[in-house]
Amino acid sequence: MTQPAISVRNVSKRFGDTLVLKDINLEVPRGQVSCLIGPSGSGKSTLLRCMAFLEEASAGMIEIEGEALGFSEKDGKRRRQTAAELRRTRSKIGMVFQQFNLWPHMTALGNVSMALRRVRGLGRKEAEARAMAQLVKVGLEARAGHYPSQLSGGQQQRVAIARALALEPTIMLFDEPTSALDPELTGEVLNVMRALADEGMTMVVVTHEIGFAASVGNNVCFLDHGQLLFHDTPETVFAAPRHPRLEQFLDTYLDRGAQMLR
Amino acid sequence: MTWQLFELLLQASLMTIFVSVTSILLGLAFAIGLSAMRMSGLGPLVWFARIFISFFRGVPLLVQLLLIFNLLPAIGISLSSLTTALIGLSLCTAAYQAENLRGGFEGVPRGLIESAEMAGLSPVQSFIWIRTPIALRLTFPALVNEAILILKSSSLVSVVGMIELTKMAQNLAASTYMPLPIFASAGLIYLAINWIVAIAGRRAEAALPGLPAK
Amino acid sequence: MSFDFAVILAKAPQILAGLGVTILIWVAGTLLAAILGFLVATARRYGGRLADLVLSVPVEVIRGTPFLVQIFLLYFGGPYIGLRLDPIAAGLLGLTIYGAAYYAEIFRAGFQSVPPGHSEAADCVGLTRMQTILHVQLPEMALLVLPPSMNMAVILLKETALLSLITVPEMTMTVQAIGSQQYAFVESIVVLALVYWALVELANFLGRLAERRLSTYSA
Repeated sequence: MTQPAISVRNVSKRFGDTLVLKDINLEVPRGQVSCLIGPSGSGKSTLLRCMAFLEEASAGMIEIEGEALGFSEKDGKRRRQTAAELRRTRSKIGMVFQQFNLWPHMTALGNVSMALRRVRGLGRKEAEARAMAQLVKVGLEARAGHYPSQLSGGQQQRVAIARALALEPTIMLFDEPTSALDPELTGEVLNVMRALADEGMTMVVVTHEIGFAASVGNNVCFLDHGQLLFHDTPETVFAAPRHPRLEQFLDTYLDRGAQMLR
Repeated sequence: MTWQLFELLLQASLMTIFVSVTSILLGLAFAIGLSAMRMSGLGPLVWFARIFISFFRGVPLLVQLLLIFNLLPAIGISLSSLTTALIGLSLCTAAYQAENLRGGFEGVPRGLIESAEMAGLSPVQSFIWIRTPIALRLTFPALVNEAILILKSSSLVSVVGMIELTKMAQNLAASTYMPLPIFASAGLIYLAINWIVAIAGRRAEAALPGLPAK
Repeated sequence: MSFDFAVILAKAPQILAGLGVTILIWVAGTLLAAILGFLVATARRYGGRLADLVLSVPVEVIRGTPFLVQIFLLYFGGPYIGLRLDPIAAGLLGLTIYGAAYYAEIFRAGFQSVPPGHSEAADCVGLTRMQTILHVQLPEMALLVLPPSMNMAVILLKETALLSLITVPEMTMTVQAIGSQQYAFVESIVVLALVYWALVELANFLGRLAERRLSTYSA
């Protein structure tokens, strides 16, 4: 069996008194699209953020392509990694946020080329050429000189995807990438993600777009109250008879995708 | 009040402008340093920044200038009055600007720092390239306001022997026995410079790229 | 180089007298400035367009020029138009006018914050204009205007040091004089700075206390 892109072992996360993730075990296979679905507050975003070490798991281990992320394990004890170790493992991951999180004081090109220059140490010309190639990929080369405030939400999210791709990650994490968008703008972002999936990028997507999960996802993981209830191919997950909690969830998320499945 | 006298005041106002602009920029650099100290989480640096800011905001600028003017020579450092004035004004404005910047740094959305972290920027790089520019952008109106305050405060550097607009007005008032028109003219020149600064500030504010919605 | 603070501290009674003058001018000046500022803001709000326009001129001129130039103009220029004031009177008047311009702006923002519906409701129950302002609008804006008002009070405290330059016998002038009599300039200025620092921090503390009080009442 080949090594998984991400392996999550016995991960729990506690915020104060509430347990938001309960002993999660999950292997994300390489080259596939894994969608995390579930009601609000189910812990799916927290799990994704743990995979980027933006949240520290209270217990358990997460490995990225076989390398421990954030904590190293020795003799059964967890030790926090140094900033340099963390950065090395993290460099395999690209992250796309719900709120885009583009830096407002830089143009689209500036956002995409920033880390190439400051982290990878490329010269301005080289960095901008590579950044431009990524903007072409998301279809925004004409907006390279625009500031985030001059772009639509969908365009901002595409720039954010280009920014993550510029660092050539092997894994892309998407945290509800279309939730902050007007419905008519979600399509352009989902199309970019679909193209990325076709290229064979390993992707983990937290989403409410059940249609996207069903049509693009290779795996669907359903979380509820901090527990990973099941994960399987979309065909199996969405085929009747469905798990009663999923049935309930689909009832409350009657979006286009969910209706298609009825 | 003759044109000749007014011309002398205008000439002296160049020194006022020079001292103010230099102090504002030096003060801004110090203020960013103070903010970095305060956010470093290192006890001694945090305390140094806190005490520095409290002291320079707690003591009248006049007294600060007298202190620097008298203290430094007493411990063997002799400085020109221009240097003394620049040190005094820039340390004072640094404390106020650091206090303004505090709100700016707190206002940088958490997600923008996370995206810098995910892009592989170190905390120092994130401070330099992401947090500071955004904090400056957020507090730009306060910076313009501070520039106007410093322009007015620069009138105090006459006490350490600098000849700028206020000192020139004092000298001319004493020699011509016409304090009324001379001080009124000096006031008008300050007013005109401040108007220009305020208008330029508003123009610049409008030209800066927009901020993320909260 | 050695410093001798004893010679300065031996003059404590004189320093305290100077401190007394500083506090007296500060408190009186701040109160008068706040009252005058409130009247200006009220006149600008309810005196019609012309009053608003006419009053905006002195407010902007005072806010746009250094306090030092204002007191020089008043103290040295005043006698040429028959306004012959002794230093303390000139200092108090100068501080009041200067502070009033800033307080006028603080109260103007305060008036703008009160929803018009509230004063209209007061009009309907038969309160006079002045009653409405004092009993409805002023309490409503209190929480908003308190922080900048306290802040302004602290600024005015520090500005009183400039009055030494027109020979008001306040703390800065007194301590400087002691310093030159005793040939202890540095020590005198250090003491002076520490006293101001303590005074400002005390004022800040009282301001925060007042804010907390007020916010619990109006919560």
